[in-house]
Amino acid sequence: MNVALLAEYGPALLEGFVTTLLLSAIVLAIATPVGALLALMRESGQPILAAAATVYVSVFRLVPALLVLFFTFYAMPQFGIRFSPMGAAVLGLSIIGSAYLSEDIRGGLSAIDAGQYRAAKALGLGWGHTMRRIILPQAIPIILPPYITRAIIIVKSTSLASIVAVADLTGQAVRAASITYQPFPFLITAGLLYLAISGLLAVFQAWAEHRVSHERRVALRTRQAGAT
Amino acid sequence: MKLDFSILTVVWPALLNGTLVTIALTLSVLAIATPLGILVALGRGARSSALRSGLAAASWVFRGVPPLLILFFAFFALPVVGVKLPPLPSAIIAMSAYMAFYFGEVFRSGLLSVPAGQWRAAEALGLSPVHTLLRIVLPQTLPAALPPYISHATEVLKGTALAAAVAVPELTSAAKQVFVVTYRPFEILIAAAAIYAVLDSALLLLQWRGERWAARRRAVRPR
Repeated sequence: MNVALLAEYGPALLEGFVTTLLLSAIVLAIATPVGALLALMRESGQPILAAAATVYVSVFRLVPALLVLFFTFYAMPQFGIRFSPMGAAVLGLSIIGSAYLSEDIRGGLSAIDAGQYRAAKALGLGWGHTMRRIILPQAIPIILPPYITRAIIIVKSTSLASIVAVADLTGQAVRAASITYQPFPFLITAGLLYLAISGLLAVFQAWAEHRVSHERRVALRTRQAGAT
Repeated sequence: MKLDFSILTVVWPALLNGTLVTIALTLSVLAIATPLGILVALGRGARSSALRSGLAAASWVFRGVPPLLILFFAFFALPVVGVKLPPLPSAIIAMSAYMAFYFGEVFRSGLLSVPAGQWRAAEALGLSPVHTLLRIVLPQTLPAALPPYISHATEVLKGTALAAAVAVPELTSAAKQVFVVTYRPFEILIAAAAIYAVLDSALLLLQWRGERWAARRRAVRPR
């Protein structure tokens, strides 16, 4: 019975799905380096940089994401800065996403023993060199699982963009539901598509975790073989 | 454009009303989703494998779909099946439904931290399962579950902003209603953000005290 309806609105839902994928990818591409930068600022030992990053992270973790989207969409024009709905959504979601991501990244960085920093310093390595060659290679396997959990949360949070007039998956599904008075086929289809994205990310997470633990075992074995 | 916070002296009653709805919504969802979350956690450890896998699947669905979509589902789909509710109760139902599964995960790891031998020991002593749960297991679960529980409670508080999309007059929607008439979105949204920050900080203060309490509980427990 609903096949005809789904066929009629299928292209719109597909377009929404592509918009959701695009929005998620752009937000992750912006929020990941910004989050890493914030985490490094907080771990840098420079009081001003650390305080600035702490204030940013605390403020944006205390307020609802939707409120930040309202700032970028409704309040910025007050200063003559006007974004398209998509631009406002990208900006707002990246601001929130980077605050949460920086906490996940910082957790991984602080899991590395402080002695490693001191040892690198004693060897005469600079801060950048220490980070790139000593700390990050050890921290990334620790960061990866919480990073993907956060990526799934960010994908789900892109549905907020529908409230500021972005025609994403949620927006298209709700539009079709309210035109046809048939909420079930569209909202359930949208739900299944979101589940497909988070399911794929979860599979990737399991694969990456398996690979990282495998690599660690291989590295350990090589080290032991070298020692004997 | 110059900032003019004097607008707040005009719009504060609307923001206050919105804040009260936000608090009521948060408390209602916590009051419903917390016991449901305990039931979900217990059900996922039940003997019946159908119940276990059914709850695991439901948990995956409710935690894998955007909360906003679930709110829209309650708002648009419940009336179609004959359940006609005003916006506020339908938002409470939708938020409680998904939060029950998030809380279910929190309590499940708490319950798993209590050794299974204690259930058997209580059974050997002739305690009923309900008695065992309330007097033996839950008191030991609390210290482990409290910190993640409160951080999820702050998610409930921030999540209530979504209800603005389904016509609930909570803080975010009250802010929008007054800034579209006054053309002062920045000042009004700053005020709303400050209110959320205060409410959130109150919960985080509770978490800090709870963590100290939990640390004491763990410290004095005989090994």
